[in-house]
Amino acid sequence: MRTRILLLVLLLSNSFIYAHDVASADHELLINGGLWAYLWVGAKHMLTGYDHLLFLTGVVFYLSKFSDIVKFISAFTLGHSVTLIAATFLKIEVNEYLIDAVIGFSVFYKGFENLGGFKIIASKAPNLLLMVTLFGLIHGLGLSARLQSLHLGEEQVLLKILSFNLGVELGQVAALIPILYAIKFLRTQRAYDSLYKAINSYLLVAGIALLGYQLYQYFV
Amino acid sequence: MKKFIYLPIVAIAFVLFSSHDMYLKLNNYFLDTFTKSTVELFNGTFDKSENVIDRDRMIDVSILQNGERFHPSEDSWYEKDSITYLDFETKGEGTYVIGLSTRARTIEMDAEAFNDYLKHDGVLDLLEKRAADGTLNTGAVELYSKHVKTIVQVGETLSDDWMTALNYPIEFIPLENPYDIHIGHTLPVQLYANQEPLANQLVYLGYQASSTTHTHDGSTHTHDSDESHEHNDLQQFRTNENGVIELPIDKEGVWYLRTIHLVELADSEYTHESNWATLTFAVGEGHSHEHSEESHDEIPVYYFIVVSVILIALLFFFFRSRNNEN
Repeated sequence: MRTRILLLVLLLSNSFIYAHDVASADHELLINGGLWAYLWVGAKHMLTGYDHLLFLTGVVFYLSKFSDIVKFISAFTLGHSVTLIAATFLKIEVNEYLIDAVIGFSVFYKGFENLGGFKIIASKAPNLLLMVTLFGLIHGLGLSARLQSLHLGEEQVLLKILSFNLGVELGQVAALIPILYAIKFLRTQRAYDSLYKAINSYLLVAGIALLGYQLYQYFV
Repeated sequence: MKKFIYLPIVAIAFVLFSSHDMYLKLNNYFLDTFTKSTVELFNGTFDKSENVIDRDRMIDVSILQNGERFHPSEDSWYEKDSITYLDFETKGEGTYVIGLSTRARTIEMDAEAFNDYLKHDGVLDLLEKRAADGTLNTGAVELYSKHVKTIVQVGETLSDDWMTALNYPIEFIPLENPYDIHIGHTLPVQLYANQEPLANQLVYLGYQASSTTHTHDGSTHTHDSDESHEHNDLQQFRTNENGVIELPIDKEGVWYLRTIHLVELADSEYTHESNWATLTFAVGEGHSHEHSEESHDEIPVYYFIVVSVILIALLFFFFRSRNNEN
């Protein structure tokens, strides 16, 4: 049983095997590759963006009904699409470290909420759908910051942004499918309660670590 | 990213058969502070200098650094083979501009020689005009002068001298510091003639891999690089109404711009006047300035995975043991 659980944990982590950043190697691909290259880089960025994936894992861990999953993922998608497209098109630049620090906080927030943190501190949890949308907007700014660091040129700028965004959504779907199947499987296990606490506690720690790391990078 | 109309006139392979462009070049565009350095003055092509330049042809030689413009003495120049060299000593850190402006000379050409020169040096607009006007069979007496610049980085600290005009009759002025950009960036450069933006002017962009260049026998060679033979393939651009071109910087190495602004003269002993401009700079290799996107360090992924798995496993066993106790 322990082996199977460990394998599932590894499966959850399988999309981390690539580098998270949009590497400089992608620059040349985008320069020469046209709109398909933007789609590819967008998908790759989401699949390798462990902060985005940790937040999404936190969101879907809490949900059991398929309709809820669709609703919350749609809210997250809407949020990050709005800021990704608007900020990139309007050339609104945000500091990557600061925005990634907030994204790290979103990971912490989701773990905290999933573990009933608001009940523990005797506080009412903010509306989850609203928070997921809000964090979606924040994640979109992070995605936009990465996209703006690439070669966009002056031609077909909107199409390039939309291609990158479409790639992000495809990458998100590709990442969510194994995550959802893994969570579904975990729910059938006797040790699910311990796993739930372990993974959400991990989100707390990872979120704090990402927040601290990005702030450290910003200030140093 | 800037509000300029990008005029990426189709990038064409434009091979120069012969030319008398002038370039200021260095073997290394990233210099240390307070060290002796040498600038090479090529007159010919970017790769090969055909002849040296006499001091009396030089109207202005300037080195611009940290807001100061100083003029090296004539003694700082010397010749070897067909290259003219300028020795200078760097001072504090900053982005330096080195410029040279030459006195006008005249050249007389018959119609065929003039047409060939226009074609091979890329003065295509005038060639077309001559064809349209039916004047292809007329010769020219041309007044010409050359005005060249190079931008180099000394130390790590960037400074704003790159944007300062030397006020030559024609000159390229970047709109961003070339030493503050990375591969994949589009570098806007503005072309000025008589201190006014020069619109609708053909400009050619060249590239040479940088790391292993060295000069001997009057020519520059690049070894151990697959890109060493790309430098004769020039991309053609046309300045927009603000005199701006957007350069797609897609490789590390040395980049150079060239243009010839050739106009017809009326009521003059000369039929034409040309002002030649070049600009050289390097991108990438050798400088370590932090750029927001490239210095955006991430937690190493494998480290992240290993730590995550260990942490989840430990937390799992902790919560399971606590559940068992209950």
